[in-house]
Amino acid sequence: MRKYLRYSYISIKEYLAYPSNILAELASKLIYLFMQICLWKALFDGSTMHGNLSYIDTIKYVAAACIVSIIIECNTIDRMNQQIRSGDIVNDLLRPMDFKLMMLFKHFGNTVIKSLLIAVPTFLFAIRLISGIPFSTDRLLWGLISVSLAYAIHFLYSLVIGMLAFFLIVTWPLNMLLGAIYKILSGIWIPVTMFPEFLYRINMFLPFRAVYAIPVSLLTGSAGDVKGSILCQLMWLSVFLILAEFVWMKGYKKLVVQGG
Amino acid sequence: MGIEVRNLSKTYRRRRAVINAVNDISFTVETGSITGFIGANGAGKSTTIKMMTGILTPDAGAISIDGMTFEKNRKDIMRRIGVVFGQRSVLCWDIPIIETFRLFKDIYRIPTNIYKENLEAFSDILGIDKTIHKPPRQLSLGERMKADLAASLLYNPDVLFLDEPTIGIDVLSKEKIRNFIKKINKTRGTTIILTTHDMSDIEALCENMIILEKGAIRYDGTLCGLKSDAHTENLETIVKNIFAGEAV
Repeated sequence: MRKYLRYSYISIKEYLAYPSNILAELASKLIYLFMQICLWKALFDGSTMHGNLSYIDTIKYVAAACIVSIIIECNTIDRMNQQIRSGDIVNDLLRPMDFKLMMLFKHFGNTVIKSLLIAVPTFLFAIRLISGIPFSTDRLLWGLISVSLAYAIHFLYSLVIGMLAFFLIVTWPLNMLLGAIYKILSGIWIPVTMFPEFLYRINMFLPFRAVYAIPVSLLTGSAGDVKGSILCQLMWLSVFLILAEFVWMKGYKKLVVQGG
Repeated sequence: MGIEVRNLSKTYRRRRAVINAVNDISFTVETGSITGFIGANGAGKSTTIKMMTGILTPDAGAISIDGMTFEKNRKDIMRRIGVVFGQRSVLCWDIPIIETFRLFKDIYRIPTNIYKENLEAFSDILGIDKTIHKPPRQLSLGERMKADLAASLLYNPDVLFLDEPTIGIDVLSKEKIRNFIKKINKTRGTTIILTTHDMSDIEALCENMIILEKGAIRYDGTLCGLKSDAHTENLETIVKNIFAGEAV
């Protein structure tokens, strides 16, 4: 356990190595949140409801989604792509450890430091912007459980996509495509309840909403069915656990260490 | 630890081309010896090393390290081998080298007294105490290489694999690195397997050598044996002739 935590510690140190990057990241989140709120304000101008969400529900949702995204988003896809493409993955494979757990703990270190340095200031900024707390307090515990599940699902999803580099070597075109679909369908930009009927239906069968739409709805108190939401997340978690193991077993045998 | 390699093969498939990188090779490395791997670029040296360190899965054949195999004892083997790739660094690029050493201390569960002892010994011989608190990105290639070498020996591995450890290193640092490798081999009995393109590395270090050509073994024996077979003392000439396709 200690050795895995050491990887988290190192990823915190690495994150702190370039302070200007941290500032830029914080600034981009704050500007993004501000623009989102301005945009929805303009869209709601004159009307009270869109879909089944009111203006105040919507800005609470986008603010909560922005904060949750800071905690959940991970660079595992890029990290794996880069390591496989350059062949530097050998350094990690040589260790008497589980590679996938190692990646998880690297990501976890990143999450800890980003929660402190980016998520907390963004949260304070959000309170100021919407003059209130974006989370509902009565289901906070379920919301937090749901965020943890979403965290795990998103990590496993990234791991699986990252491991596709074992087969494809260059995966950025795939990443771009999946990234775009992900951003729309997960509900990080637009609440999924505002989708047109057919898209909403299709999305019910896809894993994307388990990462943002479900936890954010629970956190903001706009979700109806708590049990169903958590069950849905648990289902996708098991699917990705099995998938990650499978892709790893197949992909590892395919590994070609590039660059001599 | 003795290493046994039996009928090892590895093929790379690139689109329609099939490349037999390593083709049915067998050899034995004795415990405590230093063995040099030589071969032209693309002869299969690195592929062989990568299979012997468990990174690549062979298509056929078996590798046993002191009776253990990667299928059964992967983590045990990993704990007992050290690997240095001259072209890749294990050191974390942006943070002081000491952090990587601490990481290794935890990964390999190095007892504190041994960790300290080794750190002191490496500082004496390699002079890494001056660079240990700097991140690798601020170091010269030679300094980085020394730190890499130290990292892979911190946990007293039984076998040390060195893949072109002196690539791009100046004469003086090269000599330091060679002396260090020799000393580790003598004092700790570490089995050392080394690939290089620098014949003076081989002259300075290796008793045994294996010459690979197009994925097959051309010579497996002692350095003295090779010289007497070829009736010359000049290793560079011998190797050049072999690469050019002449018989040993």
